[in-house]
Amino acid sequence: MRSRAEVDATLQTAKVNPAELLPVVHCLSFGPQAAAGECCLLQLEPGLCAEIEAGCSLVIRGEKDEQAVLCSKDKTYDMKIADTSNMLLFVPGCKTPEQLNADQASCNIIHSQIAGFSNNYWELRRCRPKLKKLRKLLMQNPYGGPDSQKDQASTFSKYTTEDLLSLIQASEEEILHHLQVIDARKIEGYWRILEFDYEMKLLNHVIQLIDSESWSLKKVPLRTCLEELGSLEPTEMIEHILLSYGRKYFDDGEVYFEMHEDKICRAIAQMLLQNAVKFNLSEFQEVWQQSVPEGMTTRLDQLQGLALVDRSSRPETIFLLKVEDLPEGNQERFNSLFSIREKWTEPDITPYIQDLCAEKQTTGVLLTKYARCSMQNGVKVYNSRRPISKQILF
Amino acid sequence: MVQIVISSGGPGALAQWVLLELQGQLEPRRSGALGGSVLGDLHYTHEGVPVLIVGHHILYGKVVQLEKPFAVLVKQGAKEPGAEEPGAEEPGAAGPDVSYTVTALIKTKLLFKTRPKPIITNVPKKV
Repeated sequence: MRSRAEVDATLQTAKVNPAELLPVVHCLSFGPQAAAGECCLLQLEPGLCAEIEAGCSLVIRGEKDEQAVLCSKDKTYDMKIADTSNMLLFVPGCKTPEQLNADQASCNIIHSQIAGFSNNYWELRRCRPKLKKLRKLLMQNPYGGPDSQKDQASTFSKYTTEDLLSLIQASEEEILHHLQVIDARKIEGYWRILEFDYEMKLLNHVIQLIDSESWSLKKVPLRTCLEELGSLEPTEMIEHILLSYGRKYFDDGEVYFEMHEDKICRAIAQMLLQNAVKFNLSEFQEVWQQSVPEGMTTRLDQLQGLALVDRSSRPETIFLLKVEDLPEGNQERFNSLFSIREKWTEPDITPYIQDLCAEKQTTGVLLTKYARCSMQNGVKVYNSRRPISKQILF
Repeated sequence: MVQIVISSGGPGALAQWVLLELQGQLEPRRSGALGGSVLGDLHYTHEGVPVLIVGHHILYGKVVQLEKPFAVLVKQGAKEPGAEEPGAEEPGAAGPDVSYTVTALIKTKLLFKTRPKPIITNVPKKV
């Protein structure tokens, strides 16, 4: 180990005036394991440092063919290895000038061992959690009700929360939140999505009951629903459909639901539209309005992200196009949209790209990046930046 | 799917290390392992400027508070039969037992970006 005398001799050779320096010197050498490469550096985004200091863990997730992501308890980050042409040495026990000035210790040599070195580090960038797979997994085996033949004989996997954490590249909170968004429900410990037909059957029971009891759509009593419908369907399913299509509230100790007009109209539209490739728009609008509960009004804007109107055809038509069926990646999503339709107006395309927006990003930014703008009949339209082959619609 | 846990180790506050960033690569004077070799002397001026004397060079740097701190990760768990290369680790290539522990946090770095000034000597002074 170097001595003070050796340090001073080096200073003299280097022609550095010791009077200009703080009295403490760090003699740096390489620790025995420094070259073993056991340590690596992870650059932390704001907030992650505080989480780690509080004792939280992070998890890196990814299949062999997927780009790895890092998840905290509620956020997901893309991971990349960043190379630098500089050498990064990590030194334990090395003090900064402030620390030295504050600590009036008597020693004036600190022997510090370099624990490791690297010329790269892991870099993180906040990203959208990869949740499309979640819906896909649950759709492999949708729940068709207790009488459904499929469920008893099913060879398809069912997934618990733990299973999902090991399959989806997202944080736990993001997964749980998305399960709520897609109206999934835990049945016998497994997360299930309802088969659409079964869901409509349940919804229909509730709508018929509301009608026959002449209840206000804003005040549907849970207790009576369970009493009246309990013989037809499991009570958990009746409660589930009310939770999916209504807002729960308490009044005088009783549970009531205020039914979501938009969500109900939207579901009924889906039920109508899924039966054909496309519909005559005005015919559809008429049938649709007649099919929704008394007191509800249908509006085309309820169908954003679900159906697309073609105003260029004669007569005008409407067809089912669900945003959740489209690709998850930005470029792939735009390619898919442009192969369905060559030119889009902003109001038409926005519902189909809204979910691509990162935190604080707007659809306008996405359009600038992935589309080319032009004017058509005085209206601003967007088309692809590159030639796209037209998709053949089934 | 691979799940690699990065845990923050046992109870108690995490150690605070410092990063030293140098231009170029280091070459040991003696061939063989770097472990045990001396790097050099690190001084600070009264104004807080770090001064590093490495071999025949003197480097002046600056203390930088990192906007994005680093966590120093140490790999835990079973090694693969064919030993992995040190340095850059591919998360996807890890075995099922691999996890990492955060051994320290780095919030400060000493950045030496200026060209090293050579120390011209005739004869090293014998002590």
